[in-house]
Amino acid sequence: MSQALHSTHEALSAYVDGELTPDRAREVAEHLTTCMQCSAEYETLLATIAALRANLERYQAPDVLRARVRTAIAATPSISEPAARPEGGASRRRRPWVWQGGIAAALLVSAALGSGITLLASRGRTSTPDVAADVLASHVRSLMPDHLTDVRSSDQHNVKPWFNGRLDYSPNVPRLEEQGFPLVGGRVDYVGGRPVAVVVYSRRQHLINVFSWPTRLGDAPLGVTATNGYNMIHWRSRGVERWVVSDLNASELRSFTELLASS
Amino acid sequence: MSQNLHERFEQTVLPLIDDAYTLARHLLRDEHDAQDVVQEAYLRAWRYYASFRGGDERAWLLTILRNCCYTWRGGRRDAEHVPFDEELHGLDASSRYAADVRAVDDSDRGSLEAVLGRLPAQFREVLVLRELDELSYKDIARVTGVPVGTVMSRLARARERLRRVLKRSA
Ligand SMILES: [Zn+2]
Repeated sequence: MSQALHSTHEALSAYVDGELTPDRAREVAEHLTTCMQCSAEYETLLATIAALRANLERYQAPDVLRARVRTAIAATPSISEPAARPEGGASRRRRPWVWQGGIAAALLVSAALGSGITLLASRGRTSTPDVAADVLASHVRSLMPDHLTDVRSSDQHNVKPWFNGRLDYSPNVPRLEEQGFPLVGGRVDYVGGRPVAVVVYSRRQHLINVFSWPTRLGDAPLGVTATNGYNMIHWRSRGVERWVVSDLNASELRSFTELLASS
Repeated sequence: MSQNLHERFEQTVLPLIDDAYTLARHLLRDEHDAQDVVQEAYLRAWRYYASFRGGDERAWLLTILRNCCYTWRGGRRDAEHVPFDEELHGLDASSRYAADVRAVDDSDRGSLEAVLGRLPAQFREVLVLRELDELSYKDIARVTGVPVGTVMSRLARARERLRRVLKRSA
């Protein structure tokens, strides 16, 4: 009866996707049982779709991209809606969300960073405030659940090789457990527009992030800054720039850094 | 409460990064551009997450991502050999077919890739959104900003075009 009304390629395509109305779908189904021409086209279409699903490339976001996204989000407030604010009303004030805990600190710190960083920067036009802000944001971000490490191990023989193939250089991963700084693990993060190695140590309940990357700049002595409860120590030696960040007290962090620098 | 917002974003939007990256790779066809645009899209998504009214996070994120891709591409149109917004019906069908055949002959491997690259972005995106992301026509329409009927016809034509290629290379 509907023999003359062949299904269009478009209708068959939508039929496969289950996107026709029930009535249209029933018509097509009935037609397919009786029309050789359309059912042949239908078979071809099914094969095409199967081949497309099998061959269309599905890409996996690289680790550095994940890290970049996380870092960017950690350093950025979400914009709340004026209407959704309880105190909203006439005052159409747009106030950034303020996170509690660690993330709130990141916001405060990025505001407060200016002062401390100018000090560092004026000392030897070394690192830009962006780098310090990235390092700090990354540190604070790492304190969120499940963001501290990509490879979790207290054995440097597991952590050091993990960076191979992920970065074009390999960070130093000295064993400092006997000195009271057990290794926690490592991750790749993003600082100043490049992937960097982060090795994580701990001291009691405090976490210490050690950032490092190769640099062409000359050596620079330890520069210490304290911002909002975080201590940051930064130096360059033999073509590697390093940043140590923690909420550990300054003197213990200093000892840690000296151990690290001499190993 | 805003802590919850961040956690929710972490749990529902961040895991979609492979889908976002896949669409960006297919649209921009450049690894580094795709990475930059995914980062930008995520930042936008996060900034406006508080105003997200619920619904399908993936369709929402991919909408933002797609806009970022087009904006990105808009600034460097001259860099691409095929205009980004080229419409298929603007071209002579037989010369298009000849181009497909040439693309297949050019390389035994990755012929699908080669032909995909010659398809207008509007066709690549419906293919990715349907075959890989398995979005409904309604969601694809939302993401691409066109009526459902247009989604239906673009998808049918994109499949038709690829059918010829897959058949030849089989
Ligand atoms: Zn028929």
